[in-house]
Amino acid sequence: MEIAYYPGCSLHASSELYDVQCRKVLGQLGIELTELEDWSCCGATSAAKTDDFLAVALPARNLGIADASGLSEIFIPCSSCYSRLLTSQKRLSCDSELKDTINAELEKKVNKEVKISSILEVLIPKVQSGEMGEKATRKLEGLKPACYYGCLLTRFPCDVDVPDNIENPQTMETVCRALGAEPLDWSYKTDCCGASASVTDTDQSLLLMWRIMKDAVARGANCLVTTCPMCQFNVDAYQEQIGEKYGIKERLPVYFITELIGISMGVSPEEMQVDRHFTDAMGLLKELKLI
Amino acid sequence: MSSRVCTFEPEVSESFAGEVMERSGQNLLACYQCRRCAAGCPVGEETGVTPDRLIRMILLGEKEEALNNLLVWKCVACYTCGTRCPNSIQSARINETLKQMAKEAHLVPLRPKIAEFHNAFMVSTSHLGRFNELECMGIYEAKTALGEMKRGGLKAIFEEMKNQAKLGTVMMKKKRMHLGYEKVKGLPEVKGLYRKAKEMKARPSKG
Repeated sequence: MEIAYYPGCSLHASSELYDVQCRKVLGQLGIELTELEDWSCCGATSAAKTDDFLAVALPARNLGIADASGLSEIFIPCSSCYSRLLTSQKRLSCDSELKDTINAELEKKVNKEVKISSILEVLIPKVQSGEMGEKATRKLEGLKPACYYGCLLTRFPCDVDVPDNIENPQTMETVCRALGAEPLDWSYKTDCCGASASVTDTDQSLLLMWRIMKDAVARGANCLVTTCPMCQFNVDAYQEQIGEKYGIKERLPVYFITELIGISMGVSPEEMQVDRHFTDAMGLLKELKLI
Repeated sequence: MSSRVCTFEPEVSESFAGEVMERSGQNLLACYQCRRCAAGCPVGEETGVTPDRLIRMILLGEKEEALNNLLVWKCVACYTCGTRCPNSIQSARINETLKQMAKEAHLVPLRPKIAEFHNAFMVSTSHLGRFNELECMGIYEAKTALGEMKRGGLKAIFEEMKNQAKLGTVMMKKKRMHLGYEKVKGLPEVKGLYRKAKEMKARPSKG
């Protein structure tokens, strides 16, 4: 199965390991990713906060490229890119004047509505068909992840059909169970880490991340799992600071979902680049004899 | 908010509320102050102003207060308020609109660092077509340091540099720092979108 792939800027920079993991893991599941030719930045939250036109137009350029690729589905692993492209697609579908204005500027026009899929939307059918269970032979026994969705997979600034429960999503848990892990029930799975606030409003962001960490630790989680590069970076890179400021002794590795799938499939941690975490992510896997 | 007798001038409030509604695409008149947004707002405790209060301010024509409060700047765009609103009012969209209106009115942002970051993100993206973490952070740090210098905040500049240097060092160590840059071939097209956006500013769009 061939689908279009929009990695987004994070996956070509500080979260490059997620790009490597997505290609590896989805490839093993029989999904061929074709990276969109000459894709550009979606504008992320910054465009939405500074310019209404660019917030729709920047993602639209990529929707046009996806359209021209002839592929019917586009996979977007980054939650922010996923949210912005979906929101842009929705806006264009209900505002033909804006669509014409933007299309006039684009080399590749937006005509069709290509299906936009998050990583969980790509993975769930593979769990349901049993392929995941077959390929993921090393069961992740003893791994108790708190599945951390963050904001942008289930909440949108416009009306979107969300393929999960909005307040208590379950699809990441479904994937984790297929790998033999025991995901825990917890209360902060859709709470915000602050995203860029970790840079611009650090105290606020640390407070938000403390609430997330505190609940994950209290529930007995031995790691966090996420699909969002911003959530992963923040809770991973700032964990030491959160711990020091709020007196949390525990340090939890923050895995990308793809990392766990890869380990379960027997891909080496080196190949999955598990050593690129800020908070040690190899120790737990060794302790549980998963690598 | 200062305590004073509430004045209400229907014409003033109508034009301001009308503009916010038009530009954000949100029907503020549907708000019946149930405060579900306030209950779920992750920054509400720190901002004091919650989405329901902000909506009421706008409807009362309190333009100055509405453009100058912590919620507008500290909102993390998590969209919890809008998702839980029984009347589907996306308050985060209102904050986005008010931020833009504050900028157009040349107001000094209550949280300059937040404004500078989003500006730096957009400038960096316009240069290459893709967001460049190093360039964005460079522009952001230079601008915020300049701002702090004007305010005499040398200590704040020192703190900021110390923290960023610390993060940068760990990023290098963990191979999370990306030193290269990627430029989009269709950069003229991206720049065309930025030009069009400037033109559109004169003609505000909905939602």
